[in-house]
Amino acid sequence: MAEIELHNVTRKFGNGAEALGNVSVAFESGSMTFLTGHSGAGKSTLLKLLLRLDVPTRGQVLVGGVDISQLAEKYIPVFRQNIGVVFQDHHLLDERTVFENVAVPLRVMGMADRDIERRVRAALSAVSLLEKEKLYPPLLSTGEQQRVGIARAVVNRPKLLLADEPTGNLDPDLSRDIMELFEQFKLVGTTVIIASHDRELINSMGKRIIELDHGRLMGANY
Amino acid sequence: MNAPVRPGKGRNKAPKKGPWSSPVSAGIAGFFRAHSRVAKESFAFVSARLGTSLLVWLLIGIALGLPAGLYLLERNLGAMSEDWQGKPGISLYFEPGTSAEMISNVREQLGRDARIGDVALVSSELALEEFKAYSGLSDALAVIEHNPLPDSMRAVLADNVEPFQIKLISGSLAQFPGVKEVVVELTWLERITAIMQLVSRLGIILAVLFGVAAILITATSVRLAIESRLEELKVLKLVGATNAYIRRPFLYFGLIYGMGGGVIGAMLVSLSIQVIEGPLARFIGSYGGVLGIVGLDSAFVVGMLGVGGLLGIAGALLSSRQRLADLQVG
Ligand SMILES: Nc1ncnc2c1ncn2[C@@H]1O[C@H](COP(=O)(O)OP(=O)(O)O)[C@@H](O)[C@H]1O
Ligand SMILES: [Mg+2]
Repeated sequence: MAEIELHNVTRKFGNGAEALGNVSVAFESGSMTFLTGHSGAGKSTLLKLLLRLDVPTRGQVLVGGVDISQLAEKYIPVFRQNIGVVFQDHHLLDERTVFENVAVPLRVMGMADRDIERRVRAALSAVSLLEKEKLYPPLLSTGEQQRVGIARAVVNRPKLLLADEPTGNLDPDLSRDIMELFEQFKLVGTTVIIASHDRELINSMGKRIIELDHGRLMGANY
Repeated sequence: MNAPVRPGKGRNKAPKKGPWSSPVSAGIAGFFRAHSRVAKESFAFVSARLGTSLLVWLLIGIALGLPAGLYLLERNLGAMSEDWQGKPGISLYFEPGTSAEMISNVREQLGRDARIGDVALVSSELALEEFKAYSGLSDALAVIEHNPLPDSMRAVLADNVEPFQIKLISGSLAQFPGVKEVVVELTWLERITAIMQLVSRLGIILAVLFGVAAILITATSVRLAIESRLEELKVLKLVGATNAYIRRPFLYFGLIYGMGGGVIGAMLVSLSIQVIEGPLARFIGSYGGVLGIVGLDSAFVVGMLGVGGLLGIAGALLSSRQRLADLQVG
């Protein structure tokens, strides 16, 4: 059984819009997959289902064999503590230092200060930002801000790393750097799923690509 | 619309656990770490917005101070009335020429009445003697041959009788043959009792109204704090913070606002007492009482802190539950 499996997943909204229609797809543990498709194809919707920010109208989302839409409310936080998320607009807190931004997921888990320091430094050095830990995000370049966002997403050593248009604001060279960063985490056994509409970039990465079109999956992906 | 499916609803099984356990087992040390950290951050947040915080403290202080002041007033009136020896009494005046037999008959009946305590007979002669002594008119009165004063009887209510029953009792006494008039002596005690009841009820009404006001003030302030940190709350939710964790700083705000309000309230009460102490002493002094404010002690201050803290937390819970429930993430 794959780490993540979607079975006939449909997500309809109240206004009748069908963001996902009968989607079935599997992601192996430690794999890296690009999710592509035009704007409005349903990429973000699929990622939200995996984060349990949303639940499908029909079908099942199995993670480690558990249907996460059946998850009791009180188990959702622990579930998310094992996931790292990166957004296009990085969601950094401007009034906290780079270090404190990256530390947020660890503070939430109640980790001891000494361990937090070690983990945050490791994550920051992985994205080559160790020397900027005391700065505030608005002082950083867009590419640096996105790297802080990635450091925050991986600091808890997630089992699943989700990225929604992580290079949306970046120029092509920077975008490549960022995508290559994600490859590092694939190496440590994290399942990585990256949504991006930048076909040229993801084609050049040589990884598995799945495509959504108006909420439908193109091609065979099981 | 896209309301999350309530998991497990309508199913007869245990709540479904996730596939993964928590990456860190922080235990009890983690609990205390989290609390001391949040407490520090909350104090920093409150002191960074000192102007707003002072305003909130003052508002809550006024809301708590008014009912607390009335409570103190009631306690002090109560203490005063305990010192007061007088009990409500009734005087019965007889028709002139009522026979001694009729009078002693009335006295016997009063003696059997459980509501009535001591009874004293004041003969017309005795009344005249007393009157002469008090008025200093003995020489002038000596020329009067006929004693104009009637026989009378003075009764004191029994200890267990409430002052409000006195009208009923006096009504029944007026029915006795030979009794011309029944005079109820409204004593200072009764007035104090009436004032105390008024103050006590006013205090309850104000306590409820202003308690609600204090809750709403903290709820509003906490709500503003939440709005100013929405971005952070969304991030917290995404990285797997529990609702308790997200709510915690706001409960601390509520506690800090409420307890600060309690301190201001206690200060306002003690200031007010200093202002009214002089006139109050003269007012009570004229009735022979001795002023010594009771109840403005450390227990009062601790009580104000406790009540303030509780109302503050209630306000914080109110607004954080409401606001965080409809927090949209992603
Ligand atoms: N909360 C929502 N309510 C209604 N429609 C929505 C909602 N979220 C997404 N949609 C619709 O679902 C479709 C897929 O959206 P999305 O998953 O964001 O696409 P993508 O990320 O691929 O651009 C779009 O047509 C969008 O308008
Ligand atoms: Mg999208």
